[in-house]
Amino acid sequence: MDIKQKDLNQQVQAVLIEALKVKPELVTPELSFGDIPQWDSMGHMEVMMLLEENFGVEINPDTIANLVSIPEICKYIDQ
Amino acid sequence: MQTLEITPTVPIPEHLTGEIQSKLAYVDESILDADVSTDRIVLSIRETTAKTGEQTSPEQMSLIEAKVGRVVESMAKGAIKPKVVILEDYMDRPALYDKDPMDELIQRGELFQEGTGIYTFGPLLTALIEFFERQFLKLAESYNAKSYRFPTLISAEYLQRIHYFNAFPHSLSFVTHLREDLDVIDNFASNARYEAGGLNTPPEAFSKIHSLLSPAVCNHLYFALADKPLPGSELAATAVGSCFRYEAINLDSLERLWDFSMREIIFVGPKDFVLKNRESARARMEGFFKEIGLVYMVESANDPFFIGEFRKQAAFQSAFQLKFEIRAALPFKDSTLAVGSYNYHQDFFGRNLNISLPDDSPAHTGCVAFGLERIAYAFLAQFGIEMDKWPAVVKDGLT
Repeated sequence: MDIKQKDLNQQVQAVLIEALKVKPELVTPELSFGDIPQWDSMGHMEVMMLLEENFGVEINPDTIANLVSIPEICKYIDQ
Repeated sequence: MQTLEITPTVPIPEHLTGEIQSKLAYVDESILDADVSTDRIVLSIRETTAKTGEQTSPEQMSLIEAKVGRVVESMAKGAIKPKVVILEDYMDRPALYDKDPMDELIQRGELFQEGTGIYTFGPLLTALIEFFERQFLKLAESYNAKSYRFPTLISAEYLQRIHYFNAFPHSLSFVTHLREDLDVIDNFASNARYEAGGLNTPPEAFSKIHSLLSPAVCNHLYFALADKPLPGSELAATAVGSCFRYEAINLDSLERLWDFSMREIIFVGPKDFVLKNRESARARMEGFFKEIGLVYMVESANDPFFIGEFRKQAAFQSAFQLKFEIRAALPFKDSTLAVGSYNYHQDFFGRNLNISLPDDSPAHTGCVAFGLERIAYAFLAQFGIEMDKWPAVVKDGLT
């Protein structure tokens, strides 16, 4: 992971911490949907809405279904 | 009756008009009917309030309008358009009948309405329901599904664990009893009268709520499996049970009953096991529906979440294709009715109820559910009440 990617990963981690209202140590760079109880269906939609606000990610059925891990979210934003 | 016409502050997307219309039933007891289009809501309001019997005032009309605004804002603002996936489409099959069978069923004594959304079924409807039941049982047997019997009551404590109160508060039916107090019971025995407004018993005579009437069949299995490893790592089960969902003014025909029956085939285990069986059940039922010539389609759907959770939960269900409904045609009104569904819950129940697989991961669950009264009703709406017009496979299959 280069510096730019690391920086993006940390920004996405921050989004998850805020959206899921969890302690920072619970959110790891590789975290996926379902890995922690807070990242459930409702938590996922909170993540999506905050990603929309912070990164302009469009919330549609495809993004909801595909952006289910921090690496996937970073990859999508990086494109 | 008064009419209240409202221009919504937020435009209502076409795909949400039906959902919002059904939710308006819960907005105020004075609402008798609602009609929702993308830019207009028309409500029929009682002349007098249901609570006090006084004339519905302009202030009360304003309050109703404000509450309607809350519903629309919550459901339509930032709405996420669902991805509609159609897995089967047999809507072009010919339907032989085009009348609502309800009136004739009532005239023939085959159907008796005991109360709002509460019906007694006569021999013809019962035989038809039993025919469908046998087909669903055959499907269950093809998975070696173990038979269960679940209670009609359901624990409030367990429903809370699966967040049911947040998701579907509007349709819950609560169970209570007189408090264990001789004075209260004596007073009830001497004075209880049923009046137009309901039983005249004061609310304080009733116990706290610990149980409800069960809104779904499969929840009971998950509760029984809670807090322990899943024996054998995979489970197929089946049960028929009564379900209760209060739908207010929407309870106006056999389409929506307060008290109805569902046969479910339930799968618990790893993700692949649940998804593979949900799909094979759909394929097997397609063959049966073809045999009887049912006019129907299978399309993606969402559960009727209440307004607070609707936008997010419905979008999530749609995105992950968690629910598909079997929608049978009702030719007399040119619409469809959900008579069954193919559901996948991911690991929602496994996580919230602590049902674990051998690798300690939470179990995934899914169910295939059939509404028995609804499928019988849809069949009669398509084929009529005269048995000689029915497909041979159904006629011959009646006992």
